[in-house]
Amino acid sequence: MQTGVSMLERFAAWLGKTPLSAFVAGQAWVVPTVQTVHILAISVVVAGVVILHLRVLGVIEQGQPIGDLARRFVMPSVAAIGVLLLTGLLMIAGEPDRALFRSVFWIKMSLLAIAMAATALMLRGLRASPAWGDAQAAPPLLYKGLAAGLLVVWAVIMIAGRWIGYAEGWPGSPS
Amino acid sequence: MSPVIAWLQATPLSSLIRESDWLFPAIECLHVIAFVTVVGSISVVDLRLMGLASKSRPIGELVDELLPITWTAFAVAACAGLLLFVSKPVTYTQNFFFLGKMALLVLAAANMGVFHAVVQKAIATAPAQAPPPLIARASGAASLALWIAIVAFGRWIGFTTLG
Repeated sequence: MQTGVSMLERFAAWLGKTPLSAFVAGQAWVVPTVQTVHILAISVVVAGVVILHLRVLGVIEQGQPIGDLARRFVMPSVAAIGVLLLTGLLMIAGEPDRALFRSVFWIKMSLLAIAMAATALMLRGLRASPAWGDAQAAPPLLYKGLAAGLLVVWAVIMIAGRWIGYAEGWPGSPS
Repeated sequence: MSPVIAWLQATPLSSLIRESDWLFPAIECLHVIAFVTVVGSISVVDLRLMGLASKSRPIGELVDELLPITWTAFAVAACAGLLLFVSKPVTYTQNFFFLGKMALLVLAAANMGVFHAVVQKAIATAPAQAPPPLIARASGAASLALWIAIVAFGRWIGFTTLG
């Protein structure tokens, strides 16, 4: 654990000396612009997540087979997560000590990995069920539960993201 | 400074949110989650109006399915936003990006009013499979541009009201 933290400190120190870091930190407009793009990308993910999961739960779009909605919304959400990773990296580059030494950042990243894996499993299970192509067929209860849980997890990911700006760094860390 | 703003800043609710360590960030989280839901759901409708996505779905159907989500989320975002405003009304009413964001919200509301009053009728009479009429594409593009600008102005408020 201790070596992990010192590796992280070396990485943060190195990142802070890169031209990318100088660019992000150098002009006042870069960080708010990157954050705006980050939030717009979140909107894209949230649109896909909310529409797909509320459909699995039977709240909206009940005339549409789940497969049709997945075909429309999964790829834009995945692309938006790519944009989120890129803009997130830019924010870390601009201020390497801010996120890396706060537990809430690592909680957010772990939840993101869990949410993506659980969504992939849910989609695989739904693809094998009649509800994928038939709007009249109810999705298995397991996936309804998973959809409800994932809506909560995505909300927690957003809260954790906002909390990076407010949380305290680890004791003794550079932040 | 308007007496109303000074009075608002002196209310117990204002000092409660302003002086708490966690209330402002907590309300801000709610505000962010709600407004990304607004922007996300409305942009699906906007892209359909522009003829760029969801082309197999009739516009009216998509509006009926998604606008309740947009409106619910908007109500939450507006309430949370109001509480954020109440915490520092003097600062916000002197902030260019806050005033700009409010002006853009008025324009977005006007655009939505025009959509319901005029554009939906034009869509109803147009053939379903044809590309959306020009007025529908313009309405969708205006909405998308306004919401992107609202997000940008909102983010800039945070950078210009520090301390």
